[in-house]
Amino acid sequence: MNARTVSRPTMAIALTAVVLSVVSLLGLPTPIQAVAALLVLVLLPGQALTRLMRVTDLGLGALLVLALGLASLTAVSTAMFYLSVWSWQACVVAMGAITILACMARARQEAAS
Amino acid sequence: MTSTLKQPSRTRAHPWNARDIWCAVAGAVSLALAVGSAATVAVPVNSDLGLVAVLPYPFWVGVLIVNVAFVVALRGDATGPARRPVMLWLIAVLVLMLFGAAAFVTDVPRGEVAFRHLGIADALSTSGGVDPNIDAYFNWPGFFALLATVLRATGIDPVTVALWAPVFNMGLWLTAVGVLARYLTKDPRRRWLVLWIFCLGNWQDQDYLSPQAFGFFLYLVVIVLLMGPLAAKAPTFPGFKRAGLKSWWQARTPADDRPGHRVGALVVTLLLIAVICASHQLTPFLVLIAVTALTLSGRVWPGRLPLIIGILLVLWLVYPASTYLSGHPPLADAGLQTAIEANVVDRTTGSAGHVLVVQIRIALTLILWALATIGSIRDWRRGCLDIRVVLLAVTPLLLFPVQAYGGEMLIRVSLFALPFIAVQASSVLLPTTGGLRLSSRNAVVLVPACVLLAVMTVTGRFGNAQYDVFADDEIAAVQAVDNLAPPGSAIISAAHPTPWRSQDYLDHRYRTIEDLCPSDLSAATCGPLVYRYAKHNPGGGYLLLMSSAESSLVLQGQTTPRSFEELENWLKAQDGVDLAFSNSDARVYRVAP
Repeated sequence: MNARTVSRPTMAIALTAVVLSVVSLLGLPTPIQAVAALLVLVLLPGQALTRLMRVTDLGLGALLVLALGLASLTAVSTAMFYLSVWSWQACVVAMGAITILACMARARQEAAS
Repeated sequence: MTSTLKQPSRTRAHPWNARDIWCAVAGAVSLALAVGSAATVAVPVNSDLGLVAVLPYPFWVGVLIVNVAFVVALRGDATGPARRPVMLWLIAVLVLMLFGAAAFVTDVPRGEVAFRHLGIADALSTSGGVDPNIDAYFNWPGFFALLATVLRATGIDPVTVALWAPVFNMGLWLTAVGVLARYLTKDPRRRWLVLWIFCLGNWQDQDYLSPQAFGFFLYLVVIVLLMGPLAAKAPTFPGFKRAGLKSWWQARTPADDRPGHRVGALVVTLLLIAVICASHQLTPFLVLIAVTALTLSGRVWPGRLPLIIGILLVLWLVYPASTYLSGHPPLADAGLQTAIEANVVDRTTGSAGHVLVVQIRIALTLILWALATIGSIRDWRRGCLDIRVVLLAVTPLLLFPVQAYGGEMLIRVSLFALPFIAVQASSVLLPTTGGLRLSSRNAVVLVPACVLLAVMTVTGRFGNAQYDVFADDEIAAVQAVDNLAPPGSAIISAAHPTPWRSQDYLDHRYRTIEDLCPSDLSAATCGPLVYRYAKHNPGGGYLLLMSSAESSLVLQGQTTPRSFEELENWLKAQDGVDLAFSNSDARVYRVAP
């Protein structure tokens, strides 16, 4: 796997996740913070995980982005509460990491195909 | 309707025409009429029929116009219905009109539960951990963990989130039902009509900020995956002879020929089911029943999925939720008789207007079920009945006698059946041959049918507006109590719903007069009980008496305005009881310990 075999969308999702995670943690004015946080917590992980499934149907893909984003954030948040390590910043970091890991797995798929 | 999985086909693209533009404009006009007229409604609502009695006539003109526009757009032309953006726009307008109507009336979320759910998320994020001894919510904390994270990370006003949650949840549900409909029928008109009926039949009011709304969305996604990547093709059912059954089962083939895609879909399904198990008590059982029924029909490829779901469910119940279950056996109030009493008999009492609202809810459900039954018979005669849809519509009923669920089981059952009822009901309202343009006669029947359903849904959804739409003064009173009451004190409201517990969830003992005096609210009997409870609480007590809560008791036939006034007069005459706050819609009394 090298950088040239990784598709632009995969690279863009991973980079956006890194950038938005950092700026969300640093803090932004309220409406922008809301958009950035929702992207990094729900939509980007949902998109990255859905791309692993190679869904061809647009409607199913959009549905899975929402469902996977919300479900994975629920799983991460719940686990953190049970382990008494919850903070919203930790959730941002964890979801950013999930997005990057999913993009790496997708990059491997792309390199193999 | 297809009985096997087909890759969903896209609606043919055709150029914009005057009809499409006029339909889009009609949608905008409808929305403007609805928003403008709803904004003029005065709160508190003074009718036991709820919002339907106080919404001005332009709102209903808007309802009429949007339904006419939808039918015109659905009728389309020989190439199909109107363009997809027009259909989506009209559905968005309908969702805003039916599910956002209360948000146009007031900035305060309806009902008590959304406030309580905000309080639970706040308590979680403040404590940073889960204590299952607090109450049932902390045994199924998944949704609240999600809510706590989103609210803290985004900085969005929690009350705004609760106010618009019905519209957001309907958007999520419709997305799932839309994909589902694409797997079930190739007829684009029928797909759009399914979504329309799903909106028009959604009187259950379960789309507020709640674990069940989230769980229902995930349930629909699981069903989509079972209808799509995880579907199986089964040969003709051979009957119930053992040898035939075995060969029939083994002859099933996956509908999706990409093994990697199927594995991915299975992993996603298991994640969603685990999250459902962590988020809500009831939904996992409905998932288990639905998946089992679909699997037994031979139309789901992973045959052991029900077993895996059962294991996940039991694991959650015996470990994270064991604290709650040890004191609340799940089958404690099982039985058909109990279920009927809690879900039907107890709900059909109260003032004449309230009873009429309940009857309209029942009638709306029965009308849709009747249409779905006729539609199923019609599809069966045409040889295109999809047994999966029938199973998904009927199987939620199996849960009805198992648990009374606080008298809400029938509401939940009808909600979980609704997408599939809408699929079958849409069959009746369209021409016999799928894909044909609606005749003028079809259109003339469809418009009044849709308008009637819309009026019934608004009546059913907002039928409790006299006591679940709160005035600003009532919210001010709740905030005053929050400020006045020291930690450890008891806060006693007249009845549910009360918009409390959105903050300091763990700091007070919250009770209602109707809970303290379940059988008799007269001053002579109930007064001493309430007074003693507040007086003997070490931190003292605060009585919160609001117009909406009083209306709740009166509408449901538990007291009369005069009797309630006598109770308040008795309480305020007692030693150590002082008026601490008052405005036109609420009074707060401090009861010294």
